[in-house]
Amino acid sequence: MSTQSTDSFASGATVVKETRRELEQRFERILDEHGAAISRLAYSYEAVAGIREELGQEIALAIWRALPHFRGECSERTFIFRIAHNRGLTHVRRRRPQQQSLDDLEETDEPVDPRPHPDEQLAQMNQQERLALAVQSLPIAHKQMIVLMLEGLSHAEIGEVLGITECNARVRLTRARKALKESMGVTQ
Amino acid sequence: MTNHRMTEDRELDLWRQQWSRVAQPSPEFKRQVQERIKVQNRRFWLGSLLALAALAGTLILAFYQLTHHTSRLEKGQATGVFVLLFVAVVCRLWFMRGTWRAETQSIRASVELWHRRVLAQIRGVQIGIYIAIGWLAFCGALAAANWATIRLELMAHPTAYFAMIVVIALMLPLIWFGAMWFRRHKVAELNEVTRLLEEMEKMND
Repeated sequence: MSTQSTDSFASGATVVKETRRELEQRFERILDEHGAAISRLAYSYEAVAGIREELGQEIALAIWRALPHFRGECSERTFIFRIAHNRGLTHVRRRRPQQQSLDDLEETDEPVDPRPHPDEQLAQMNQQERLALAVQSLPIAHKQMIVLMLEGLSHAEIGEVLGITECNARVRLTRARKALKESMGVTQ
Repeated sequence: MTNHRMTEDRELDLWRQQWSRVAQPSPEFKRQVQERIKVQNRRFWLGSLLALAALAGTLILAFYQLTHHTSRLEKGQATGVFVLLFVAVVCRLWFMRGTWRAETQSIRASVELWHRRVLAQIRGVQIGIYIAIGWLAFCGALAAANWATIRLELMAHPTAYFAMIVVIALMLPLIWFGAMWFRRHKVAELNEVTRLLEEMEKMND
C-alpha cells in the first residue's frame, strides 16, 4: 500500500516536471517566433527605449503566466496578442495620471522623451520612422487595430483579440486606417 | 474601386514591411525574461511559504491556547482567532466568485474581469473594516468579562501592558489610514476601468 502510494507520488511528480518542461519549451518557441512582434507592440505603447524593453519583458512574463491556462480556444497568435495588448493597456493606465479618460490621453499622453518634438523629428524622417511614430501617436483603440493589422492578423483574428465581431473589426479597421493616414499625412 | 483596393493593399504591404523592421528585440531579451521568471518564481514561493507559516503559526498558537489553558480569557481569545480566520477566508472566497478567469479570451473580457476584480477588492476592504470593528468589539467584551483576571495581570506587569496599549493605539490609525488609502486607490481604478468599458462600448456603436 505504502509502496503503491510512493510510486503514484513519484509518477505524479514526473508528470508535473514533464508538463513544466513542455511549458518551458513552448514558451521558448513563442519568444523565438513572436519576440520581435512583442517588441514592436511594446514600441507602440512606449516611446522611451529603457521602459519599452521593460514593458516587452513584462508582456513576455504575462504570457508565461497565462500559458498554462491557454485552452486552445483560439490560435496561439491571437492568445499572445490579446495578452500583450492587455499588458500594454495596464502600462498606459499606470503611466497616466488618475482620473483621465482615453480622450484626454490622446492629447496629453506624450512620452517623456528627451528627443525633439515628434513633429520636428517627422520632418527629417524616413517612411518607416514616420509610420512608427504615427502608430505611437494614435488613440488606444485605433492603435490596437492598426498594430494587429500590421502584424498580419485577419479581420476574424482581430475580432477575436478585441472581443468584437469580424464585421465590426472591418469597420473599425477602416476608421483606424484613416486615422493612421491622417496622422502620417499631417506632418508630410 | 478595384484600383483603389489594389492601391490600399500595396500600401498595406509597404506598411507591413516597414513595421517589421521597427524596434527589433535586444539580443539579451530572452535571457532577461528567463532571469525575471526565476526571480518571480523565487518571490512567489517565498511569499507563499511566509503566508502559510503565518497562518499555521496563528492556528497552532490558538489551538495550543485552546487545549493547554483553562482560563476563560485565553479560551475566548483562541476561539475568536479561529472564528476570525474562518470568516475572513469565507468572505475572501465569496467576493472572489467570478473573478478567477475571463469569460472569453478577448481584450473586452479581460477588461470586464479587471472591473470585477477591482469591485471585489473594494468590497473586500469594506468587509475587512467591519471584521476589524467586530474583532475590536469582541476583544473589548472579552476583556470586560474577564476584567478580574486582567486586573491581576495588569498589576503584576504594568509596563508590559502599557507598551501593548501604546502599540495598539499606534497600529489602529495606521491600519485605518492604510485601508482608506487602498480603498481610494481602488475606487479611482474602478472609475478608470468603468470609463474604459464605456469607451469600448462607444466604439462598438
